[in-house]
Amino acid sequence: MMLLQEGLNLGEMILHHTADGCELWGQPIPGCHLRYPVDFSLGPTRHGILLVLAALLVFISMWTAGRSVARAGAGKPARGFAGAVEGLVLWVRNDIAIANIGHDGARFAPLIITLFFLVLYCNLLGLLPHMATPTGNLAVTVALAVVVFLVVEIAGFLKLGPKGYLGTIFMHVPGLHGAPAAILSIALAPLEMLGKLVKPFALAVRLFGNMTAGHFVILSLFGIVFLFGNLGLWSYGIGVTTAALVVAIMGLELIVALLQAYVFALLSAVFIGLMQHEH
Amino acid sequence: MTTMLLMLAQEAEHGTAGAPTPFAVNSGLIIWTWIVFVTLLFLLKKFAFPAILKATEDRERTIARQLDEAEQANTEARRLLEENRRMLAEARAQSQALLAEAKAAAEKERSGAIEKTRHEQDEILARARREITAERDKALVELRREAVDLSLAAAAKLIGQRLDGPADRSLVERYLASLEKAN
Repeated sequence: MMLLQEGLNLGEMILHHTADGCELWGQPIPGCHLRYPVDFSLGPTRHGILLVLAALLVFISMWTAGRSVARAGAGKPARGFAGAVEGLVLWVRNDIAIANIGHDGARFAPLIITLFFLVLYCNLLGLLPHMATPTGNLAVTVALAVVVFLVVEIAGFLKLGPKGYLGTIFMHVPGLHGAPAAILSIALAPLEMLGKLVKPFALAVRLFGNMTAGHFVILSLFGIVFLFGNLGLWSYGIGVTTAALVVAIMGLELIVALLQAYVFALLSAVFIGLMQHEH
Repeated sequence: MTTMLLMLAQEAEHGTAGAPTPFAVNSGLIIWTWIVFVTLLFLLKKFAFPAILKATEDRERTIARQLDEAEQANTEARRLLEENRRMLAEARAQSQALLAEAKAAAEKERSGAIEKTRHEQDEILARARREITAERDKALVELRREAVDLSLAAAAKLIGQRLDGPADRSLVERYLASLEKAN
C-alpha cells in the first residue's frame, strides 16, 4: 500500500468528471444550482450548455454544407467538408431513414438526420479536452428517447387510424377467433404497452451507458497514473503504458461515438417503420 | 484495484447524499433538450436541409418521372404491337376469305360454262339428228315416187300402153311396200 499515493479519491474524480455540474472550463456557471441525485431546476448546467454548443455546431456544419452544395450547382458534387456532410446526410436519409421506414421515409428523414447529427456531435464533444458529453446524461438521452417515442406513436396513430392503432395494443393472435382471441388480446395488452415503453427506454439507457462507460474506462486508466505517482523512475513506464492504452481506448471511443449515433438513428427509424407497417 | 473499488463504493454511498454522479436525473435538462432539439430540427429544416437535399430530391423526382414515362411508353408500345398483331391476323383472315370466295366463284363459273356447253352441244346434236332424219325421210319419199314413175314407165314400154291411172299406181306402190316388208 505504500506504493499508492495517499489522499487521492479516484472514484470521486471519475464521477465528478462524468456527472453534470455547475462549472465549465474552470469557471462557475452563473444561475446554476444543481442538486443530486434529482434536480428540478431549469438553470443552465455544464451538459445543458454543451448540448446547446453541439446543436450550434450541427447547425453551422449543415448550414455551411448546404451553402456549398447549392453553390457547387446541379450535377456537381460538393468538395471537402461540405461533401462529407452531404454524404453523411444522404447516407442517413437513404440507408437509415428510407431503408427502414419505407415510402414515407423521406418525410421522417429530417428528424432522423437531426437525431443522428445531434447525438454524434454530443458524443464527439466529450472526447475533446475540457469538454463533457451531454449524451452521457440520462436527462438528455431520456428526452431524445421521449421524442422518438412520441413520433413513433403519433405517426403510427395518424397512419393506422384509431382502429389500427388500437390493434397495436390489443393484438389479434393468429389462428384464434371469438372469446379466446378476445381474452388473449386483453391479457397481452399490458405486454404490448410495456413493449412500446421498453423500446425508447432501451434507446435512452444504451446511449447513456455507452457514453458514460467509455469515459469511466478512460478516466480509470488515467487514474492509474495518479495512483502510482510515487514510484520514482517506474512511474514513467506506467505513464507511457497508460497513455498508449488511453490512446487505444480513445480510438475505440471515436468508433463508439459514431456507432452509438448510428444505432440511435437506426433504431429510431426501425421503430417508426415497424409502427408504420403494423397491420 | 481493491482500493479503487472501495473508493467507488464509498463514492456511490456519498452520491446518494448529494455528491455529483452521472446517474443523477436533471428534469430541467430534459426540457432544455426538447427545446434545443425542436429548435435545431426547425432551423435545419428551414435553412439547411432544402439546400443539401434539393439536388438529391430533384434527381429522385427526375428518375421517378423518367421511370413513369418509360412505363407509359412501354405500355403504349405493347398496345400498338397487340393492335398490329390483331390487324395482321384480321387482314390475313380477310384475304383468306376473299381467296376462298374467289375460288368458289371461279369453280361455279367453270362448272356453269361446262354445263352450258354440254347443253348446247346436245341441242346441236339433236337438231342435226332431227334434220338428218327429216332429210332421209324426204329423200325416201322422193326415191319412192321416182321408183314408181320409173316402174310405170318401164312397164308401159313393155305392154305398149299408157299406165298412169290411179289403179296402176297403187298396184306398184303395193308391190314396193311388200318389197319393203320383205326387206
